[in-house]
Amino acid sequence: MGQFLAIVVSAVFINNFVVVQFLGICPFLGVSKDFKSALGMGIAVTFVMTITCLITYPIYTYLLVPLKIEFMEIIVFIFVIASIVQMIEMVLKKFSPTLYNAMGIYLPLITTNCAVLGVAELVIDETQMINLLGISSMNMGYAVLYGLFAGLGFTLAIVIMSGLREKVARLPINKHLRGFPIAMIAACFIAMAFYVF
Amino acid sequence: MEYLLLKSIDTGVLLTVLGIVAVLSIVFAVLIVAVSKACAVKVDEKVEKIKEHLSGANCGGCGFAGCADFAKALAEGKAEVTSCGPTSNENKQKIADILGVPFAKTEEMVAIVHCCGGDNAKEKFTYVGNEGCTEEIAFMGGKKVCPHGCIGSGTCSKGCLYGAIAVTDGVAKVDRKKCTACGVCSKNCPKSIIEMIPKSAKVYIACSTLCRGKDVMDACSAGCIGCGLCVRNCPSLAITMENNLPKIDYSKCIGCKNCVLKCPRKCIREIV
Repeated sequence: MGQFLAIVVSAVFINNFVVVQFLGICPFLGVSKDFKSALGMGIAVTFVMTITCLITYPIYTYLLVPLKIEFMEIIVFIFVIASIVQMIEMVLKKFSPTLYNAMGIYLPLITTNCAVLGVAELVIDETQMINLLGISSMNMGYAVLYGLFAGLGFTLAIVIMSGLREKVARLPINKHLRGFPIAMIAACFIAMAFYVF
Repeated sequence: MEYLLLKSIDTGVLLTVLGIVAVLSIVFAVLIVAVSKACAVKVDEKVEKIKEHLSGANCGGCGFAGCADFAKALAEGKAEVTSCGPTSNENKQKIADILGVPFAKTEEMVAIVHCCGGDNAKEKFTYVGNEGCTEEIAFMGGKKVCPHGCIGSGTCSKGCLYGAIAVTDGVAKVDRKKCTACGVCSKNCPKSIIEMIPKSAKVYIACSTLCRGKDVMDACSAGCIGCGLCVRNCPSLAITMENNLPKIDYSKCIGCKNCVLKCPRKCIREIV
């Protein structure tokens, strides 16, 4: 239970992928104009992150490490992520058209999302994970849980951002700050708030 | 360099890497093909067929997000074939056959700018600032004295996918050879002075002002003063006066060009 809590707090708050580790900034700024699409993007990223961890962790541990070709990790991971996104897209199209329509263009966009590659890279770094979570050794369960909560952390950040931007859009702001500049300032404050942890 | 590159390659590792990449590619290729076969979604055949016959210009003139969206709306009965400009009459007939709806041939249209102001129209001040008609209007209603005429900042030409409309001598002009009457320019124009008229039309009103004669005289040397000479001289009664501005009913116009000759301000013009 303690380790579970450690994963939640670490992945969602202390090491939030967007505002603390600065990964996945492009969807964070690009898709946060309105609440609905931000939530859709967040759910899609969470989904892909979890499944990515589920597949890349065993590939790394049981394939790349024994063969001593760890330097191939990035290429293999990108390869895996792109394939997974493709398959998820097709499966969703078939079994849940509503969810597919809700995610829309964001699902294929995740292929090039660095937060997803970031989480895949992070969970295979055993020493760092042990330091972060205070666990004795890394295993697949932790990897998948970390992926899930990292995705939820991303969702939290992007949803807060979208809420702020929706509010800010209605405020009388000076012309030179309107739009993107004020969004950057808002992002800065969100990041500062997350540094409290 | 060659020493470094060639001698440092370990053939065993190279082969393992190639093998792993090959195996993973094959596995994922098979998986993706399997998933795509298993999850094949039936796409409405009608939509595909309709899409083939559409022009594929993706101009958005119909009000939908591109041709694919328009084809979908057509298949669902939410749109009409006639709202597409670029598609030829032949193809529209085919689409109507696919849908099983009657189709009356629409006349080929072309865009026209109801203004010939440009350098003829006087300016209140010299505008220095962001380009674009909307931007110019935001500052004291634009630089022209005439409140209805062309701003000449080219918002229409920026939206045109065919490069068929451009600002020359301070007023937008349509290249009739390139225009497909998609209607994007008329939607973009903040003054709403661009209209689609039949391609067979011989004359057009080159002014949009609703002002009184004296104000027009002060504002523009080519503006319509609403004298009504064109209305009185039209043998087929195709011209009517609405709010100080003549309007041509092209279904009645016989193309005699009497109005062009009689107009004292030369703002009814022949289409060449």
